[in-house]
Amino acid sequence: MAYIEIKGLSFSYEEGEDGVRIFDNLDLSFEEGSYTAVLGRNGSGKSTLAKLICGILQPIHGSITVGGLSTADEDELYELRRNCGMIFQNPDNQLVASVVEEDVAFAPENLGMEPLLIRKTVDECLAAVDMTDYAKHATYKLSGGQKQRVAIAGVLAMMPKCIIFDEATAMLDPLGRRDITERMKALNKEKGMTVINITHYMNEAAEADRVIVLDGGKAIMDGTPKEVFSHGDKLRAVKLDTPQITELCDELINLGYNLPKGVLHTMEAAEAIEKLAKG
Amino acid sequence: MLKDITLGQFFPGNSLLHKTDARFKILILLALIIGIIAADSSFSFLLMGVVTVTLVLVSKIPIKIILKNLRMLLFIFIFTAVLNVFFYEGETLLWHRSFIEIYKEGLIYALFMILRLACLVCSSFVVLTYTTSPLDMTDAIERLLSPLKKIKVPVHEFAMMMTIALRFIPTLIEETDKIMSAQKARGADMESGGLIKRAKALIPILIPLFVSSFRRADELAEAMECRCYRGGEGRTKMKQIKSCFRDYAFLTVTVGICVAVFFINRYGVRV
Repeated sequence: MAYIEIKGLSFSYEEGEDGVRIFDNLDLSFEEGSYTAVLGRNGSGKSTLAKLICGILQPIHGSITVGGLSTADEDELYELRRNCGMIFQNPDNQLVASVVEEDVAFAPENLGMEPLLIRKTVDECLAAVDMTDYAKHATYKLSGGQKQRVAIAGVLAMMPKCIIFDEATAMLDPLGRRDITERMKALNKEKGMTVINITHYMNEAAEADRVIVLDGGKAIMDGTPKEVFSHGDKLRAVKLDTPQITELCDELINLGYNLPKGVLHTMEAAEAIEKLAKG
Repeated sequence: MLKDITLGQFFPGNSLLHKTDARFKILILLALIIGIIAADSSFSFLLMGVVTVTLVLVSKIPIKIILKNLRMLLFIFIFTAVLNVFFYEGETLLWHRSFIEIYKEGLIYALFMILRLACLVCSSFVVLTYTTSPLDMTDAIERLLSPLKKIKVPVHEFAMMMTIALRFIPTLIEETDKIMSAQKARGADMESGGLIKRAKALIPILIPLFVSSFRRADELAEAMECRCYRGGEGRTKMKQIKSCFRDYAFLTVTVGICVAVFFINRYGVRV
């Protein structure tokens, strides 16, 4: 059984049966230890999906289980949230305390851990995101990327099995964005955590092992980045792009050059073009 | 412009007062306030004055800063003094014209009043405001009031509200700055005109600020829920405050001084 199982999910922000459905009978699953990117234009229900998985919103129909725990069960919800952390878009709106280490300690304090254990966890989590030097700093003085790192430490302190990044890089500068994306990858590859990255940025999605494209409440595409991004026209039909380098290769293919489809990285493209030029 | 507002007025330092447990400082200040208000003879005033000056020196807060803050309260000092001079009825009449009478006792009383206010302000600044970080203060208040939880006073909730408020003050100031710039860029005029016009000019700033604050609150609540927050029940704290012998000694001395004031009032020499 997959780690996150979504079955027959229907959801609407309006009450009753006839509201506008964000999701209608959606089935989706995420394997334990997988790294998935979720794409979709504004209003496609990306963030709603994240909130449904964490049990902040409740579906009208269908069920969601995370590690065998159901979001519908009030008693299990607490344990579920401990297992499945979430990083939000706005770094300012998810830090609770004014001091970095106090904020990281927030979740362990809620879980009722022993003070000495909290201390240890906080130090470890700050070290994991390279923020040890900032432990006593005021949160509001940090840069956006640093705030997101503190937020990640705050979630890591719950020792979850899965982290959902809900457009966590959207408000960061390019440097901060790259940093957070690398950290996502490291969490998945080194610590074996299940990572779901909900994003607008195609380059970020290309880093994942699996890409899901949501549109109109349905998963219209689902596969490896290579598979998904080789269907440039299909993506453009739902107002999404392919990564820049993939687009370049697509244009070249359209001009009649014999290049492979679904190229994701600059170096990969360079090699293919070099081969073509020499060939 | 908004950057100039100092928050909480906390001056980090390493003095005896900085190191004292915040819970004890609240109690110490309470004892001092009682002592200062109860003082009504020159001896007891002398005692409280000496105590205040000692505290100021111990705190290592620059005198300049304290004087600057006292100057802001100058109006209140003068106002109280003037009231006391004119309305106190004593025995030795110094000067009078029609209904205005000034007594020697009135002058002395006015002087006491100023001293009392100055002592109150200085000691509370030095003991709490300047030497305690807002976070420690919130924590101390929560711990001091925790017995009230038994009679269903939501102590934890109040403390959490204070923590969040402190956390969001800088964020909201930054946001206000941004909104002001945005409105100015659209031609809003906030610096000219009379009081009413200026107050009206604030509306286009306050409304967006309120709207975004509500949105922030919503998101923060979700983020807190995601981090397993469910109220104060079963919650532990990373920081463990440990009171040491020095804290108890400090409190005992202050209470002793307070008692001494009452003693002097009752049996001491009067002017």
